[in-house]
Amino acid sequence: MNIQRISAIFEKDIKDFMKNMMLLMMPLIPIVLALLYKQMSNGEEFPIYFLYLNVGIAYSSVTSTCMMTMMAEENEKKTLRGLIQSPASMVDILVGKSLVVGLITFVSLTVSLAIIGSDPLLNGKAILALILLFLFFLFLGIGIGLFSKSISATSAYTMPVMLLFGFTPILGSLQLDEDGIIMTITDTFPIMQAIELHEKSSWVPLGIIAGWVLAAALFMYICFKKTMTDD
Amino acid sequence: MENIMEVAGLKKSFGKNIAIKDVSFEVKKGEVFGLLGPSGSGKTTTIKILTGELSKTAGKVTVLGMDSSQIGTADFKSKVGILSDNSSLYERLTIYDNLKLFCKLYRAPLQQIDVLLREVNLHEERMKTVSKLSKGMKQRVLLAKALIHKPKLVFLDEPTSALDPGNMAHIHRGLLKLNEAGTTIFLTTHNMEEANSLCDRVAFLHEGEIVELDDPDELRYKHSTHDFHIETYEGERLVIKNTPDNADRIKELIVYNRVKSMQTDKPTLGQVFLKVTGEELV
Ligand SMILES: Nc1ncnc2c1ncn2[C@@H]1O[C@H](COP(=O)(O)OP(=O)(O)OP(=O)(O)O)[C@@H](O)[C@H]1O
Ligand SMILES: [Mg+2]
Repeated sequence: MNIQRISAIFEKDIKDFMKNMMLLMMPLIPIVLALLYKQMSNGEEFPIYFLYLNVGIAYSSVTSTCMMTMMAEENEKKTLRGLIQSPASMVDILVGKSLVVGLITFVSLTVSLAIIGSDPLLNGKAILALILLFLFFLFLGIGIGLFSKSISATSAYTMPVMLLFGFTPILGSLQLDEDGIIMTITDTFPIMQAIELHEKSSWVPLGIIAGWVLAAALFMYICFKKTMTDD
Repeated sequence: MENIMEVAGLKKSFGKNIAIKDVSFEVKKGEVFGLLGPSGSGKTTTIKILTGELSKTAGKVTVLGMDSSQIGTADFKSKVGILSDNSSLYERLTIYDNLKLFCKLYRAPLQQIDVLLREVNLHEERMKTVSKLSKGMKQRVLLAKALIHKPKLVFLDEPTSALDPGNMAHIHRGLLKLNEAGTTIFLTTHNMEEANSLCDRVAFLHEGEIVELDDPDELRYKHSTHDFHIETYEGERLVIKNTPDNADRIKELIVYNRVKSMQTDKPTLGQVFLKVTGEELV
């Protein structure tokens, strides 16, 4: 890892992000949705699961999707090759991009939560959960981005990530059978565990989220090893 | 002269497809070395192995005194410049921002950007977005990118393939200047005139093997038939074999003042290639 090279990648990617209409739309999604809810809510407070739905949307549509798209574009346009031929390591490249995605996510999440109300999330445990969730979605995005050869290929992965991991809190509002198979499985999903944190005083949900982060990190590592040894 | 690069018994296969059968050559420090061959002969594959982008199947490769285990490390990459066949730039960014990225990655001073943009004749366009550039302009930016950190050794994979003759000549002059300043250039091309005017030595790559390697002039001499090509004042064109029994005939033509011009056969590099490989360069 090299700070100067990471900052060079960061500078390039943030400039490129600002000129990419498709990517610029992504951080607007949670903000626009938050505005819509606010309009419809006539002043009531939003339930916890709703705040996490917003978090899920921000993380899946900004963090994961932007990361995948940025990396897929580098692959598709053959610009990644130029970076790899330079002394920058793949880790420098990934860290530089992660910082860009992290910054954009932070802005999008902060603005959208400011609109619908962020008070319940402003405690140590919840913030820790938010950080872990960010890492989970980031690693997922990097992993998929590593093997996506084109932008169009990533859309096949965007949907499952959004629906499975981003929109999970919606399931809670669908009044499904609490003990049904779907609920039992999805209850262990990272965002659902973050909601649990607010219902129990136990630290177990954080541990489960950390487990998901580890799994995503492992997935990313496998994708990384695979792309590095490909001819 | 000292060797900057040594390749011995290099082999590369992609599954069952053998791209490089057995390639050996040396590149001397300070020379312009050309690897010539038709499409699919293995030029790009060879460059990729020499720069650590691909692993080799067998053989020994030494570049800048570094062996295979060191080729491809950050230290190695900071010492060589690469212009690859289909590398590209960030289309949404300006020429300047593209070069700034690489300047920082290679830890070169930012002044280098202006120096190189002048070299490749693009200084006025420096704030233009890359997507608005012609192919030839992009190629020149890529060349500037490859040279931004003043590498001692550069690999150029078909550097002028997208350029018109004017731009090509301009780049050729630039490359010769660069070479005079001490940079070793390893290039691939299927343009025989380019190879003839730029390269100190060329290697012909044919189906994964080197079939000829020498100074281009030497090759043209070696493969000459040495026939006399004579044009007479009457407009007749004669080809006369260079043999003792033809001496009287040639003497007669000269004595009777019929010879307007006379040359001995000197094939072009392209003709030599065709003769050696039986294959047209495309
Ligand atoms: N990644 C790869 N996987 C499988 N086969 C490959 C790969 N790269 C190259 N080849 C094969 O290796 C051979 C040599 O290809 P290479 O690209 O080195 O040719 P080249 O001389 O650079 O051609 P060109 O003038 O068209 O650039 C070809 O038969 C090609 O199909
Ligand atoms: Mg090639």
